[in-house]
Amino acid sequence: MTARTTTHRARPRRLALPSASQVITGAAIAVLVALAFMAIFADWIVPYDPLRQNLIQSLQPPSAQHWLGTDDLGRDVLSRLIYGCRIAVLAAAEATGLAVLLGVPLGLFVGYRGGWWDWCVMRFVEAIVSIPGIMVAIVIIAILGAGLHKAMIALGILYSTSFLRLARGVVLAEREEVYVRSARVIGASDGRILLRHIFPNIAPPLIVQITLTVGAVLLAEAGLSFIGLGVQPPDASWGTMLNTAASYMDLDWFLAIPPGIAIIVTVLSVNLLGDVIRDSIGRGIAIRTEPSTPSVRFAPTARETGQSDQAIAPGPDDVLRIDGLQVVISQRGGSEVPVVTDLSLAIRKGETLGLVGESGCGKTITGLAITGLIGAGGRITHGAIRLDGADLTALGQKQMVSVRGNEVAMVFQDPITSLNPAFTVGDQIAEVLQAKKGLSRKDAWARTIELIDRVGIPRPASRANAYPHELSGGMAQRIAIARALSCNPKLLIADEPTTALDVTVQQEILDLFRDLQDEFGMAILFVTHDLAVAADICDRIAVMYAGEIVETATVDALFARPRHPYTAGLLNATPHGSDHTPPLPTIKGSVPRPGTWPAGCRFANRCEFVEERCLSRVPLAGKDTRLVRCVRADELRLETGR
Amino acid sequence: MLRLVLQRLLALVPLLFIVSVLTFSFTSLLPSDPVDLILGDNGTQEQYEMLRERLGLNEPLVSRYLDWLGKAVQGDLGSSFFNSVSVTGAVMQRLPVTLSLTAMSALIAIIVGVAAGVAAALRPQSWVDRVATIGATFGQAVPNFWFGLILVAIFAVNLRWFPAIGFTPLLESPWQWLRSVTLPSLALGLSSSAAVARQVRSAMVGVLQQDYIRAARAQGLSARRIIIRHALTNAMVPVVAIMSFQITVLLGGALIVEQVFAINGLGTLAIAAVRQQDIPMLQGLVLVMVGLVVSVQLITDILYGLLNPKARPS
Repeated sequence: MTARTTTHRARPRRLALPSASQVITGAAIAVLVALAFMAIFADWIVPYDPLRQNLIQSLQPPSAQHWLGTDDLGRDVLSRLIYGCRIAVLAAAEATGLAVLLGVPLGLFVGYRGGWWDWCVMRFVEAIVSIPGIMVAIVIIAILGAGLHKAMIALGILYSTSFLRLARGVVLAEREEVYVRSARVIGASDGRILLRHIFPNIAPPLIVQITLTVGAVLLAEAGLSFIGLGVQPPDASWGTMLNTAASYMDLDWFLAIPPGIAIIVTVLSVNLLGDVIRDSIGRGIAIRTEPSTPSVRFAPTARETGQSDQAIAPGPDDVLRIDGLQVVISQRGGSEVPVVTDLSLAIRKGETLGLVGESGCGKTITGLAITGLIGAGGRITHGAIRLDGADLTALGQKQMVSVRGNEVAMVFQDPITSLNPAFTVGDQIAEVLQAKKGLSRKDAWARTIELIDRVGIPRPASRANAYPHELSGGMAQRIAIARALSCNPKLLIADEPTTALDVTVQQEILDLFRDLQDEFGMAILFVTHDLAVAADICDRIAVMYAGEIVETATVDALFARPRHPYTAGLLNATPHGSDHTPPLPTIKGSVPRPGTWPAGCRFANRCEFVEERCLSRVPLAGKDTRLVRCVRADELRLETGR
Repeated sequence: MLRLVLQRLLALVPLLFIVSVLTFSFTSLLPSDPVDLILGDNGTQEQYEMLRERLGLNEPLVSRYLDWLGKAVQGDLGSSFFNSVSVTGAVMQRLPVTLSLTAMSALIAIIVGVAAGVAAALRPQSWVDRVATIGATFGQAVPNFWFGLILVAIFAVNLRWFPAIGFTPLLESPWQWLRSVTLPSLALGLSSSAAVARQVRSAMVGVLQQDYIRAARAQGLSARRIIIRHALTNAMVPVVAIMSFQITVLLGGALIVEQVFAINGLGTLAIAAVRQQDIPMLQGLVLVMVGLVVSVQLITDILYGLLNPKARPS
């Protein structure tokens, strides 16, 4: 079969080149069609009678008369190989067919019936599955006798167990669905429910399981024939041909090649086709549709327009200073979109800066940019991130590893998933102390207990031995905080650290942050979408919208008089007490996705005060810490409802 | 941990019971009369009756089962129909052969599979990933016994690095043992490593996207520590589960690969038993294999508990 592959190659085409997966799928289908063709028309296309012996011409190498040579009895290998196709198709059809016919109805029945039937059959299936498959087949063959059809009955019985389990699983899942229950309520018979309502759901996984089984049957048939329990000599099957070849490996190793390649190519084609089917079923539809990328023009970044925001005046005790940071992420297709543009901010020692905005405005990515953890899909294109004066964007991977933990640490939103489920919480803190501080095991553990005690967890010594899933969210977040502070970082980035927690716990965690800041003196970048939380914990707030800062102010100033319409909108959307009867106002629309930002003021399409002027780029302007990115900031008197 | 082991052991009782009933019922399912098989064509009626009596075939089925079970529990699996040797003795004599082949293959499957899977997962879409994926796809389509033949042709017949056939017991000569199991274990283990590599890759890709990996990186732990300690420990949880299944597959594969290398293990015993319809021998083989599979499952269950604290009974 494979010996006939054509040698000329198509010229490389420049246009409309089919994708690799299309080529593979096409090749797999071609192989299987060729296999079926040879199986059906074997009698007409073989050059010789596959059983005719010619002892004078035994073990001949490939030649013009015998393309694949001859075997030990002088039989033509190519002819035997082609007849082997018929056996392979027959074997796959028989065994798979029997497995489906036996397994699916039985699985449907026991799944639907449940109770004792189900229990007994499933224990039986478990017993079969706990014996190596080939041994099950061997035992069944011992009862039935050897031979192709009997061996295929054995394989059919063996593989019916996987169809049984599949059908049963689908029934168990569907049985309690509303439409099945309602069919039962209106009095549909059990048989009708099984056939009309449940059976259609089996089709997709069934097709996948069939392709898997066909591949397995082909290999098993070859194996059984190889050990002499399947197809019996002199009939030709790929397995028996290999059995012959095994005796002559020292004289003529080539005998093993044609049947081996035939098995591999066939099984490979079946498996690859199965993968394609599985993938297309998994996607729901087989047609590939590329997500349409919005054609909206990217907003020009400040650098491109030459209009940079005014730089923030450097302060003497700044721990962190970010100047003109721009971050881009690559989209599918390779193009890059900016997600943070021209972002500048500074945080002093012992200060807490809130970074506030709706989700999707670039807050989290800013936090990750500081730690150098944006990930493979994104990169910093412009700007500097200075920690105590040293630019982190200029550091290599190794140096960043030493900065993280020692100088900057992070606390994340979901405390449970941020801790490794496989290790105890104490172990995870001690590990950091050992790896970063070089402490001994014993010292690290002692310090761990101190830290756990310090973050307000009672009985720290025993809690250190708990696994993350054994702790409440609040406890786990305290552990995460203890770990983040274990190396005394200068800057703590807290990314929505209270969002996943109960309201009562939130307050405790915020208090803990304040306490620890007094003790450790670190600066905190507090990322949150919740203005009430920010008001509670922060000294200053920077409001972010669509990848840029739109307003910064001290908490008091911001709450007393917001100057950007977006800030005002956020403040109005924050619930504060129950004495207000009107429904909570919302900001209409949502944050535009990166790549779809308006060219001028990015808030323009959601702003009720929009004017002609807003359609061109707006700089961040103001004095000291009071900056705003709005051309109408001075003339607007924004209502906050407070 | 003791509690987990006891729980699992208890859960095995119904399984083993059903397996024993299934195994025992082979005798009654057999189309031909075992007594005829043993006596051949020349037996007289008198001999026939004597043998039936001696084999206990005149007893009712249930009492025969209980009798057989009672002996089986004590390790006596009866004697071969064919040459009257003790089944337990014959099986135990071959067991180390098949066991060392299976164990070596499992080792190769794990080492190659985990290494390839991790390398592929660390750089998705890179050439390493492509090579591993293509290798795994091919590995699942190559019959292990054919691969064995090719290994023999290259490394035994041509290069003469390893013996083409036979098996040397470990205790006789560790070096010769290693030489004799290398090729069969490679034939068996590499095809299994394909399945392991696929599983490791997908588990590892999933784990590397977890929050705790990002948190560990944010904490400044080294990439090596994160991959080996934090990611692999978690990625091994599903891998251990499929490894238990893979070892069952390997045990079955060993039966066939033994034939390629003319190794006198359980496979050779089983094939001879089928040809001679030697039912006690087949019963014994099935029971021993189920015992092996069940022990492996027990070990993987314990490993699973060690790797995944959530699975431990509290």
